[in-house]
Amino acid sequence: MSLTIQYLEPIEVAIAQIETWWRSGWGQDFADRHLSSRSFALLLLQKDPNLWEQLPGDRQQDLEQLIATTQAQLNRPISLEIAQARQGFAQAIEQNTLAEPNPSQRRWGERIHKLTVNPISGFPILVLVLYWGVYKFVGEFGAGELVDRIETFFEGQINPVVNHVTEQVIPWPALQDLFAHDYGIITLGIRYATAIVLPVVATYFLMFSLLEDSGYLPRLSLMLDRLFKAIGLSGRAVIPIVLGLGCDTMATIVTRTLETKRERLIATFLLSLAIPCAAQWGVILGLLAQRPAALVTWAGLIVGIFLLAGFLIDKFLPGSAAQFYIELPPLRLPKIRNVITKTWVRMKWYFWEVLPLFIWASAIIWVGRLTGIFDWLISGIEPIALGLGLPKETAPILLYGFFRRDYGAAGLFDLQQGGQLTGDQLLISAVVLTLFLPCIAQLQMIIKERGVKTALLMVSFIFPFALAVGYVLNWGLNLFHIAL
Amino acid sequence: MDCHQCHQNNGSCGSKRSLRWLPFGENFNRLPIEPSGPQIALVGMPNVGKSVLFHALTGTYVTVSNYPGTTVEVTRGAMTLDDRAVSVIDTPGMYSLLPISEEERVARDLLMSEPFGAIVHVLDAKNLGRMLALTVQLLEAELPVIVAVNMMDEAQRWGLTIDREALIEKLGVPVVLMAAARNWGVDQLRETLADRLASTPAPVLAAVG
Repeated sequence: MSLTIQYLEPIEVAIAQIETWWRSGWGQDFADRHLSSRSFALLLLQKDPNLWEQLPGDRQQDLEQLIATTQAQLNRPISLEIAQARQGFAQAIEQNTLAEPNPSQRRWGERIHKLTVNPISGFPILVLVLYWGVYKFVGEFGAGELVDRIETFFEGQINPVVNHVTEQVIPWPALQDLFAHDYGIITLGIRYATAIVLPVVATYFLMFSLLEDSGYLPRLSLMLDRLFKAIGLSGRAVIPIVLGLGCDTMATIVTRTLETKRERLIATFLLSLAIPCAAQWGVILGLLAQRPAALVTWAGLIVGIFLLAGFLIDKFLPGSAAQFYIELPPLRLPKIRNVITKTWVRMKWYFWEVLPLFIWASAIIWVGRLTGIFDWLISGIEPIALGLGLPKETAPILLYGFFRRDYGAAGLFDLQQGGQLTGDQLLISAVVLTLFLPCIAQLQMIIKERGVKTALLMVSFIFPFALAVGYVLNWGLNLFHIAL
Repeated sequence: MDCHQCHQNNGSCGSKRSLRWLPFGENFNRLPIEPSGPQIALVGMPNVGKSVLFHALTGTYVTVSNYPGTTVEVTRGAMTLDDRAVSVIDTPGMYSLLPISEEERVARDLLMSEPFGAIVHVLDAKNLGRMLALTVQLLEAELPVIVAVNMMDEAQRWGLTIDREALIEKLGVPVVLMAAARNWGVDQLRETLADRLASTPAPVLAAVG
C-alpha cells in the first residue's frame, strides 16, 4: 500500500527491529493472520494482550526489553505517541479534503444538546419524557385503553366460543381444560400473550425506538454519568441499563460493550435485579396506574434498591471504577419508516418468543393440575404469599413469576381487573415480581456471558432478596397503617 | 436493543419464521456459513451506519439505532455482484485495531483471522478527521480497504463538502461518498466492490515472509 505514516524515530527503529525478528521466524506463528508485519509490530509495541499471550516467553522478554529502550527515548507513552501520529496524519488529510464554509449550521443541534446534558434542564426533560412517553403513552394508552379493549373482546367474543366448541368436540373435561376454561392454552396462554402483553410491548417499543433514533439516549448517559459513578459504573453502562428497560436479555448481551469485567458484572447484576423489562414495565404501570401513590412508591423503591445495590457492590467488589467514554451521535429527527420497521421487528421477535412460552406454561400448568404437583407446589408457596400479605390466589402467580416475570405480571393484571387486590397488595406483588429474574432466557444469557458460578450466585441472592423486600414492605405498610 | 437473534444468524431464517416449541430453548448461537465466494467486511467506528449499509447491500435487516454499540456480534449476509455470490459481514464498531472492549475485539479478530476480498471502512462524513485514524491503521495492516464516507446528507446539511479526488489521492484507495440511509451512493459502492473483487482473484491465505 502506498500510504505509510512516519512515527517518531525511536518507534520506527523498534518497528524495524520487530520486523526483522518477524522475518527470522516469529511470523510463522501468525501465518494464518492477515495483517502486515508493520501492523503486527505496532500492535506488539503497544502490548496487544491477545498477541502477547501467543508469544513464547523468551520472545516476550526480548520484546519487553525493546519496549523499555524505546520508551526511554520518548517523553510520552508509546501508545500515546503512536495514536498522536495517526491522529495528526488523519487531521491533515481532513484539512485537505473537507471544507466547512458555514459552521453556524450546527448551532441549533448544539443548543438542544446542551439542554439535554445539563442536569438542571436535563432532569426536567427526563421527567417529561417519562411522564408523556412512559406513563401516558405506554401506561395509560397501551396498558389501559388497548388492553381493556382487546381483553373485553377476548373475554366477550373469543373465550365463550372456544369454551363452547371445546366442550362440543372433546368429551373429556380433563382434556377440555388443556385448551379452554380458566387455564387453557387459548383462553389463558394466547389471551395473556395477545391481549395483555402485546399492546403494552407494542406501545413501549414504539416509544423506545423514537427515543433511540433521536439520539437522546446517549445524552441521557452523559447526564447520568456522575450518578452512575456512585454505583461503580461509567456513563457507558447507561446504554445496557437503558436497553434493559426494553429487554433485559438483550441488554445482558450489550454489557459486552463495557470495558472492565467488574463493570460488566455489576451491570449484569443490576439488570437482573432492578431493571424491569418492557413487558413488566407496561403491565406494572397498568396495574398501578389507578393508584398513583402505589406507583410512586414502587418507582421509589426500585430506584432505591438499584442505587443501594450498586453502591454496595461497588464498595465491596475489588477493582476500581471505569472511565467514561461514549460516542455522541447527532440529534436527529427520527425517520418514521425506520421507527416503524424497528418497532415491528422487535414486536414480532417478542411475540414469537413469548407465545410458545405462554402456551407451554398453560400446558405445564395443565399437567401440574392434573397430577396434583401444581397444587402441592402452590400449597408450598401459599405461606410465602400470605407472609407477604397477599391473598392466596397470588401463589400461582408467584410460581409463574419464577419462570417469567411478564407471565406473572400478566396474571396479576388479571386478578386486579377482577378487583381482587388492594393497593398494598398490588404494590407488594409488583415489587417482588420486578426484583425476580425476568425470564429463563435472561438466566441463560447470564450463564453464557458471566458463567454458571456467577449466575447461580446471582440467582441465589435475587430470589430470597425479592421475597425479603416484599416481606419487609408488607410489615412496614402494616406497622404504619398505610393503605395505598 | 436488538432482540431478534434470528437476524444475528445468517439472514437465511428471516422470511421463514417458525415458532420455537421448546419451552426454554433460547438459542443465541450463530451458525457460521461456509464462505464459498469472496467475503467482504464492513468495519468502522460505532454509529457510522454499518448496519444500515449492510441492510442496503444484502437486504438483511439488522436493528439499526442512533446509538453507539448496538451491534455486538458479527452478522453475515449475502449479496450478488456481477453474478457472483459475495458474503458480507457486518461487524461491531471499533475505534482502533488495538481493542479495548470485548466487542471491539470481535471485529479485530475477524479482520485478522479471515481472508477478505475487500474491507469497507465506513466513516461518518461529519467526523472525518477522527475516523480516518482507523483508516490509517487498516492501510498499515495492508488490508484491501475501500473507504465509504457515509452520512453525506447530514454533512451537507451542516454545510460540509468533501473533496473525493483529494481523499483518493492521499489514501491511495477507492473512496465512495454516500448516505446509505437514503440509498445515495450504494450502487457506486457496489461497482467499486465489483472492480476490487475482479482485480483480486479468490482470496488466498497471505504468505508471510
